[in-house]
Amino acid sequence: MLTVDRLAGAALALVALFVLWQSRVLPLGSLGNPGPAYMPTVLAALLLLGGVVIAALGGDAPRPGALGFREWRHVVAIAGACVFAALGLERLGYRLTMLVVLLFLLGVVERKRPVAALVFAVAFAGGTFLLFDGVLRVPLPRGPFGL
Amino acid sequence: MPGRRLVLAVLLLALGAPPVTAGAQEPFPSRPITIVAPFPPGGVADLTARPVAAAMEKVLKSPVGVVNKTGAAGAVGMQSVAVAKPDGYTLLLALSSISIIPEADKLFGRPPAFTVDQFAPIALISADPTILVVPADKPWRTAKEFIEDAKQRPGQISYSSSGIYGTLHMAMELLSQAADIKLRHVPHAGGGPALTAVLGGHVDALASGPSVVLPHIKSGKLRVLGGWGDKRLAALPDVPTFKELGYPTAEFYIWAGLFAPRATPEPVLAKLRATVREAVEDPDFKTAMDKLQTPVNFKQGAEFQAFFETDARRLAEGVRRVGKIETK
Amino acid sequence: MAETLQNLAVGFSVALSPSVLLYAFVGCVIGTLVGVLPGVGPLAGISLLLPATFGMDATRAIVMLAGIYYGAMYGGSTTSILMRIPGEAASVMTCIDGYAMARRGRAGAALAIAAVGSYVAGTVSVVALMLLAPPLAEFALRFGPPEYFALLLFGLLVLAYMSSGSMLKSLAMAALGLLLGMVGIDQMSGYFRFAYGMVELGDGLGVVPVAVGLFGLAEILATAGQPVPPEVIKPRLRELLPSRAEWREAGAPIARGTGLGFLVGIIPGSAHVISSFVSYALEKKLSRRPEQFGHGAVPGVAGPESANNAATSGAFVPMLALGVPSGPIPAVMLAAMMVHGVSPGPLLISQQPQLFWGFIASMYVGNLVLLILNLPLVGLFVNLLRVPYPYLYPAVLTFSILGVYAVNGSVVDVWIMLTMGLLGYVLRKLGFETAPIVLGVVLAPMIELALRQSLAMSDGRYGIFFQRPIAATLLVVALAMMALSLRTFVRRGLDWRARMALVEKGES
Repeated sequence: MLTVDRLAGAALALVALFVLWQSRVLPLGSLGNPGPAYMPTVLAALLLLGGVVIAALGGDAPRPGALGFREWRHVVAIAGACVFAALGLERLGYRLTMLVVLLFLLGVVERKRPVAALVFAVAFAGGTFLLFDGVLRVPLPRGPFGL
Repeated sequence: MPGRRLVLAVLLLALGAPPVTAGAQEPFPSRPITIVAPFPPGGVADLTARPVAAAMEKVLKSPVGVVNKTGAAGAVGMQSVAVAKPDGYTLLLALSSISIIPEADKLFGRPPAFTVDQFAPIALISADPTILVVPADKPWRTAKEFIEDAKQRPGQISYSSSGIYGTLHMAMELLSQAADIKLRHVPHAGGGPALTAVLGGHVDALASGPSVVLPHIKSGKLRVLGGWGDKRLAALPDVPTFKELGYPTAEFYIWAGLFAPRATPEPVLAKLRATVREAVEDPDFKTAMDKLQTPVNFKQGAEFQAFFETDARRLAEGVRRVGKIETK
Repeated sequence: MAETLQNLAVGFSVALSPSVLLYAFVGCVIGTLVGVLPGVGPLAGISLLLPATFGMDATRAIVMLAGIYYGAMYGGSTTSILMRIPGEAASVMTCIDGYAMARRGRAGAALAIAAVGSYVAGTVSVVALMLLAPPLAEFALRFGPPEYFALLLFGLLVLAYMSSGSMLKSLAMAALGLLLGMVGIDQMSGYFRFAYGMVELGDGLGVVPVAVGLFGLAEILATAGQPVPPEVIKPRLRELLPSRAEWREAGAPIARGTGLGFLVGIIPGSAHVISSFVSYALEKKLSRRPEQFGHGAVPGVAGPESANNAATSGAFVPMLALGVPSGPIPAVMLAAMMVHGVSPGPLLISQQPQLFWGFIASMYVGNLVLLILNLPLVGLFVNLLRVPYPYLYPAVLTFSILGVYAVNGSVVDVWIMLTMGLLGYVLRKLGFETAPIVLGVVLAPMIELALRQSLAMSDGRYGIFFQRPIAATLLVVALAMMALSLRTFVRRGLDWRARMALVEKGES
């Protein structure tokens, strides 16, 4: 029977196998003189063991269907906002990027009134910029038009 | 409508600075210049960059800031400047390791993070030879005794360094190669931990910049055996150089220089060179460097180019001879 | 003793002179600001202000910079408690029970306990610093790689006490975290591991992006889409401060955290974070109600917060007494002293008594200033939780992105945070705890380096760990504790299966 734990255990074991596969290009060394692949190999072996045991003992865990992903829309939206921020930060500058992120989250995802969303987004993107870049002199990226 | 006016006011306030029109004729500099220090705060690069930035700011009457972009032994910050827009607003304060990193990349067959010819040199700010220190309770009194002993017991005398292929490692390697000795390398995560290790007696020796170890030499915890310079240090006139002792290839400097991306337009470079020339004469800058006990060694143009190239060749050769670290 | 008191009197005359007092105050204010805001840690704060001190005299400059350092440690817990964003590795543990307290409506209590714990830890550590600095510093220097390795094993032990769920799953998560900690340049050989051509991964995954992703972002992802948004917590004034019972619970952990933190703090290196880990484990071990940990246990905030503040003061011991750069921040402080023409080293105390004793006295004053500054702020910060969740989470997200970016000015860190956030979200769904991953990422590089350095020192002989008295002692204690926790593991493993069976029965 497929359970949450079986799924997770299998995934962890796969990660471990991937690491073992990737470590083969690095020198392993010996117990007395461990090379760069030594610790990763040992740890991946441990993780493999852990994954297998979790999967083996996981017969009683809940079925994956029982988890419920009702919040998936929000997860996609928020993750998307982060992707946009990561892509835009050094192209559009901090203020524009964050303005868009906040407008999107407040206006589109949370359906707040446009004026409220705009005021909040502008104040927050601009305020944090002033605080970090201006007061604390942590340089934040600027985009087109010096924004 | 006060509400709308408020929104507008907030908008204007928040989006701050008036738009800057980008154009070919804009005078340089028309916005803040950033100097990238590719090492963490408190290190040589950072401590040199900050007074330099402050002095340049005075000369240009326009803000000059320092950003620490650290990672991968400096490669992250150096690479970021190598690929930065060549407009003179992003500069790099690099140390000797700028010539080591591309060599080490080559050694491991990786695509290099950057190459030295991606940079246009502006000026050398300082160049300090490293010196060899050992804990005071170790038996060696002179560099000669140290080297003799290392020949007797190959691979038994240990030293700490700021990291593999780091500056302090390369200095020691150049000495080992020149004197034909084999020492045991214990890399540490930076210059600070490397110094702590030799102070605690966990390793037998360290090659270090003079300023950080001088207080410990004065207090008698460390003993200095020799220097990597081509002449003796003003602060340590009794300490011989390895050159004097007959190892002319054991020459190494921790230097700090200012670079711009290669394609920076010549007029901008000229302006930057003139600015730095004036900045190093600034009394506040001189006081700051004096207190750091880092003598200013200002070089520009062909002179810096020649220094840079000789140094790069020496280090490249050193890295190649160290080779990949063997694991049995 | 009489001499110390006399020196201290001199010190207070320096520290209480209006100009020094002013700079101590400015340092504390900036430190609090820097500590509260994510991303700008004490290291960035100090280096940003370093040039501003070029024109000052040495005492004022050092007093101000030190104020930033310990001020930031006070503020560091704020975002951990309120938003589950750890500003730095030292406040990772506070995210667990501090945030759980906030969700129970005890944010004010958590913040106040953190502030008072920090005050007690700070002040007691200064007393210890004053009386014991020179002998302790000599002792601290005897910690080389083998001792360090043995010490770090204690950090791993914490894993045994971290989780409130399945031990097996925690261990698997720890292994995953340790593996993630392997990313980057191998410091012993120069090989790039698992970096796939990205130079930015050279120094490995940063602790801040990993922790902010796994804690802060994962929390938002899991909460924002809930059909019923989390209740807005409206704090009432009398609920701001900890209750009498909470104070009683906090007392002993603060005392233990202080002692532990100070001892770990004096050891040169970057092991300071483990003081908060070990303190958490210790408190859980000693607690009569360990099941509360993870759900808002007061000792889970009081202990680690005191420990990380005491470690801050402890780090000054080798720095002041011997001029040893005992960590990244003391290294900047040493550089600052040199910039001001003070030559740090063993002779500092005798040659510059004004500076040393003035510094000590200013730390007493500074800690008091911070307490007075931080307690009223508790009221202010707690009110942030009144913001409705649909507005709060975009703001928290902004702070997360900004904070993570600002640490290194690197977009790669934002990507790491996002990946870790999604990973954390999925793992939470699957019933895994993510704190052991963070612990693994913090500890893996240090443990590996210490182990391999030790072996490089001994030419591959493991005997080095047993020939050196401190290392041998620590190692024996660590192994004994590990054996003990293994016993618990077996017992709890059974518990877990029994519990799961019950859950299954209840549901089906």
